[in-house]
Amino acid sequence: MLVLMTADSTHDPELTAPPSKEELLDRVAQGDQVAFGELYDQIAPRVLGLVKRLLIDHAQSEEVTQEIFLEIWQTATRFESKRGGASSWIMTMAHRRAVDRIRASQAGRDRDSKIGIRDLAVEYDHVSETVEVRIEHERVKKAMSRLTELQREAVSLAYYGGYSHSEVADYLQIPLGTVKTRLRDGMIRLRDELGVAS
Amino acid sequence: MTDKMNPAELSGAYALNALGADEKTEFEEYLAGSEQARVEAAELGETALALGMAAQPVQPSEGLKASIMSRLASTPQLSAVTPRDAEVPTEVPTEDPTEDPTEDPTDSANVATPTPVVPARSDGATPVAARGTSGAAGRAERRWFQRPAGMLVAAAAAVALFVGGAFAGQVLNTNQFEQQQASELAEITAAPDSQRASTTTTDGHPATLVWSGELGLSALMIRDLPALPADKDYQLWYINPSGAFSAGTFDSTGAGTVWRVLDGTMKVGDQVGVTIEPQGGSPQPTSDPIVAIQS
Repeated sequence: MLVLMTADSTHDPELTAPPSKEELLDRVAQGDQVAFGELYDQIAPRVLGLVKRLLIDHAQSEEVTQEIFLEIWQTATRFESKRGGASSWIMTMAHRRAVDRIRASQAGRDRDSKIGIRDLAVEYDHVSETVEVRIEHERVKKAMSRLTELQREAVSLAYYGGYSHSEVADYLQIPLGTVKTRLRDGMIRLRDELGVAS
Repeated sequence: MTDKMNPAELSGAYALNALGADEKTEFEEYLAGSEQARVEAAELGETALALGMAAQPVQPSEGLKASIMSRLASTPQLSAVTPRDAEVPTEVPTEDPTEDPTEDPTDSANVATPTPVVPARSDGATPVAARGTSGAAGRAERRWFQRPAGMLVAAAAAVALFVGGAFAGQVLNTNQFEQQQASELAEITAAPDSQRASTTTTDGHPATLVWSGELGLSALMIRDLPALPADKDYQLWYINPSGAFSAGTFDSTGAGTVWRVLDGTMKVGDQVGVTIEPQGGSPQPTSDPIVAIQS
């Protein structure tokens, strides 16, 4: 006769507190698909949000998001937590992938006519945002407002537009050296406003 | 030196991903030689992250997760080799002293470097197999044979793949059963109602059940489950008030994590149990379960 035992799942810490992204990545590095699924749930809207900000097109953004998550799966073994958090690692990868897509395809050129120069405040009247995102957004928006208009324009074009610095130079019809300076001065100003310290 | 030649000027563009490939390489060489520049690059990198986190989150469509999860099976994970280590001649490392490299070319669970080392690219870049470079394809192939399951839950490691209890460890046979198992496991973990519960076997080996009531599927994984004599098999059961129903048999080599998607249909509330039975399994359990988990 088979005697049933009661599974003791109350001691599973994962059931009481959601694991951090770093813990999840560590498990993903060991081939844990369940952890990968949890990591996806936690950060996919952020990744897709950023990618879509650059690519505009939803379907294409999902394609790139898929590439990003497969890269996370493949390279989780290379993630070093001492070099920064999991969010940082993932979002940096997401931005790079989105930029790669823009530069690899005509999409980047086509989309220029659609969007023109976008500013951080644009398309941000969405109602579904969480308080956390709103606060973060307000913080960044405020920091951005401390930049000169020329710096803000260059930084926005580069980061949210995915333009290379030489494209920014062409677009604004200013010398490359000037763009470099604006990007650097702008980022340093942002860093100081946001209180980022390493 | 003109301004144009001063690499320090590139730090903003670098943090924003706005450099061309050549300039990026150049700037990274410059970083390697300057602590101060590295600090600035790290800070500006964090600043760029804030810009990224300020973007409006967008909910992915329903199918995206399932689409990604279903590709994990055929997407090999890189070994945990760092570019520094890549200078070491490439041999199969035995970083886990408990693992006998001659035994079975599979991985063992919870090892920091779960895969045999492949040469990392010396430029320190992270290769991406999804792009189909020849190096990555080669790795994919090797990985596939070394990990016949193609993918694993909770372990980068099927030391034994369960093939009806008869073919455990037959690693070169990438058969339909394995593919089927891998794809079902992906479905379970990607299901919107996917859940998991953990416990231990009577011998203290961690066991986890993953299931989806919507799909009616579950998978059980157990770490370091001891190997059985040739005339015995582990047998899986769905257990509910109507009785115990066989859900397949399997074997284990004793190290790493074994897993198997159960045969038959799971109903939420069923218990999943494992017993040790004569080879080939029994119509009804003939011994006490070594583990039981409630879905």
